[in-house]
Formats: sequence, structure tokens, C-alpha cells
Amino acid sequence: MTDIKLNLENAVIKYEDTIVINDLSLQVHGGEMAFITGANGSGKSTLMRGIAGLLPLSAGRLTRSAKMSYVPQIEEADRDFPACVREIVLTGTQRKKKFFYTRCDYELANKIMKELFIYELANREIKNLSGGQLRRVFLARALCGEPDLLLLDEPCAGLDVESHKILFRILENELANGCAVIMVTHDDSDIEGIKDSHVIKISDGRIKI
Amino acid sequence: MSDLLALLSYPFVIRALVAGSLISICASVLGVILVLKHYSLIGHGLSEIGFASLSVASALNVPAVLISTPAVIIASFVIMFVSQKFKTAGDIAIAIASSAALALGISISSLTGGTSSTGAYLFGSVLAVSDGDLIFSVILSVVVLTIFIIFYNRLFLITYNENYARSLGINTTFYQLIISVLTALVVVSGMRITGTLLISGVIILPAVTAKNFASRFKTLVIMAGAVSFVAFIAGLVISFVFNIPAGAGVILSNSAILIFVKIFARLKNKK
Repeated sequence: MTDIKLNLENAVIKYEDTIVINDLSLQVHGGEMAFITGANGSGKSTLMRGIAGLLPLSAGRLTRSAKMSYVPQIEEADRDFPACVREIVLTGTQRKKKFFYTRCDYELANKIMKELFIYELANREIKNLSGGQLRRVFLARALCGEPDLLLLDEPCAGLDVESHKILFRILENELANGCAVIMVTHDDSDIEGIKDSHVIKISDGRIKI
Repeated sequence: MSDLLALLSYPFVIRALVAGSLISICASVLGVILVLKHYSLIGHGLSEIGFASLSVASALNVPAVLISTPAVIIASFVIMFVSQKFKTAGDIAIAIASSAALALGISISSLTGGTSSTGAYLFGSVLAVSDGDLIFSVILSVVVLTIFIIFYNRLFLITYNENYARSLGINTTFYQLIISVLTALVVVSGMRITGTLLISGVIILPAVTAKNFASRFKTLVIMAGAVSFVAFIAGLVISFVFNIPAGAGVILSNSAILIFVKIFARLKNKK
């Protein structure tokens, strides 16, 4: 398989001077899904931030698709901003080198919001959304970037059964379209639900595939 | 009332009115970004550094703008970088840098016998607005508003979530630099009128006031600009009526509007 979307070689990632990820190598191809599991504090989010380019590698090499979208964990600061759902979703299209949104961007955002059942919330302020709704907004924002590498940091936390089903249906579509997905999860049932997936367990900064 | 209208016949009043209004609007527009990004203290730190640089310029007998503009721009970028990188340490760095800069400025003024101009720097003066300042404020406001319109979507994203913007491959440092440079220019030009001690209030207060009734970023920017304009005019009137420095009048009117809006919002929520 040559369609490599992520290639991480002997990566070392530090967080505040502590080595969290130590000598980690990982390759993910288009259409593949990699689940990252491990105990709290084992470095799952640090790894995701490293892959997303938000933390530098202290050693090793990272090659990844330029069309990457990252769905981080929700922080309190994410709500305290004067914006509506549509405005946040549209920001996902900003990878393109242009300053103003086009009609295509609005149409894409509307289509994705409908797929994720948040279209009726398009004009709602983000501070008035539930945790599950905000997760769907962040996923919609990521999909607006039309990614071929999708990073999801605990996207299922706080999701109800219906939202969980919607998320996995969308992910299966993305995988079928050749997108590679890397997802942090604590739930084994998530892993069992996807066929072409491999599981990366992180322990003491190292992985076991 | 007729006395106030008569003031409009003085060229220095017109200069202060136009330049001050434009700088106030620019300051409040940038203030929205600074408030939302929790960089509210930056304006205060920059104004103190501006004061020190003005004292140095005065001691060296060179035009103030030549020293204070680059000094404040560099300081602005360093402060934003430190604040972003080290979070809490950023606030401490601003506190240290601003008090050290104020002490340095006062010391230089004392040693070089420039204490008479120190008061004008600290508290501002409408008389200090020259034709050059007026032209500079017009150019600055055109630049700030044009940049804001062109880069609006980028600034929105970077203000909301800089990390997400970086993950999309956007050069956030470039936009940080733009915000730093514009903030520095607003501080340098504004401190002539409102004084170095009060310019940070002109940057922050309108945004904080507008945040109480604006639910969208765009509305917040427009409302902050409107509040700042009204507060500046009211402040200038207050300063003439009560014979107090213009900067003090502007901050008092801004504070009064904020208190009024807070009370109104509280009463509205109780209903």
C-alpha cells in the first residue's frame, strides 16, 4: 500500500520538558483507522497534538498529508466566544489560501451540518450548545476542510447513543472515500465497530500495536 | 452648550476630535481581539514601555516617534509571544516590564530635566495633537480597518482558536505580528491624547462593554467601535466642562457606559 497519509518515524514528543512519547513509529494509510488507547496521562492527546503539528518533535520524523483536520477535546474556552455554529463550521474551509468565504464554502458547510443533524442549530450561539452538539460542530468544522487525514481526540466523550451512531456512520463514509482516521478512545466497543482498523496502545510513552 | 460649540472654532479641538475619534475606534477594534484572547494587560504594558521610550527620545532630543514606534512594536510582539507561550508567566512578565519601564522613564526624565513633559506623556493633552498626528491617525485608521476587513475570517479564527488555525497550516505568527504592530501603533499615537497611563483603558473598556450585548464577533467589533466613539466624544466634553485631562474624561465616560450596561444587563436578566 503506497497511499500513506501519516508516517511517524522514531518520534520523541515532550510536554513541558517531560518525554511523553518515546521513540514511536507509526504508519497509517488511506482508508485505515487507527485507534489510540491507553490510561489517562499516557500521552494520547500529546501524540495527537504532535501529529497535528501543535507540538514539535524533539526527535524523529513526521510526514503527513497536507489535508489534515484535527478535532481536539473540548475546553471551556471553546464556548466563551461570540460566534454561532455556522461561523465555527465555516472556519474549517480556511486551509485554502483565500480571505473570503465563497458560495461553495457555504454550500459545503450546510451539507455537512445537515449530515450531522446540526443544520437547525446553524444560527445558535456556541455558548448555548450541549457538549455533544459542540462535538458535532467541531467534527463538521473538520470535515469542511475535506481532509484525507482526520485526527479525533476523544470524540465520543459525552455523546448520546444517537450522536455516536451519526459519528461512526460519517467516519465509515470518510474511510470509504480513502481518508485515514486516527482516533483517541477509551471505549473498546468503538474499536470493534470498524473493520480495517488497528489499535495502538500507549503505555509509558511507547506503543504496542 | 454654546460654549461647547464655540470650542469647535479652535483648530486644536478639531484636530483632537478627529484624531482622537479615529484612534479610539481603531483601539477598540483591536481591543476586541485582545480581550477575547485574554491579552487585556498588553495595552497597559505597552503604554508604560511607550512612556519609557518617549523619555529616552526626549533625553536624546530626537523625534519621539522614531524611538517609541519601534520600541513599542518590538515590546508588543515579545509580550504577546511570552503571554502565549507561558500563559500565567505572561501576566507576570507584563507587570514586571511595565513597572520597570515606568521607573526607567521617570528616572530618565528626572535626570535630564524633562519632568515638565513627563506630565503630558503620563496624562495626555489635546493640545499635543499636531497636524502630523492628525494625518497619522487618518492613515492608521484606514490601515487598521482595511486589514480588519481583508483578514476578518483569519482574525476570527485565530482569535477563537489559534491552535486550530495552526493545524490548518495558517501562519499564525504572521497574523500575531500584524496584531502586535497595529496595537503598538495605536498605543503610540493614542498616548499623546489620553496619556500613557490611560491608553490601555481606551483599548479594553469598549470591548468589555460591547461584550455584554454582542453575541457575534462581527457585532462585537462594530459595537465596540461605536461605544468607543461615543465615549471619546463624551469624554472630551467632560474634560472641557470640568477642566480635567482629556484622557481622564474619556476613561470616565467609558467606565460610566460599562457600569450602565452592566446594571442594565443585570436588571434585564432578573426579569
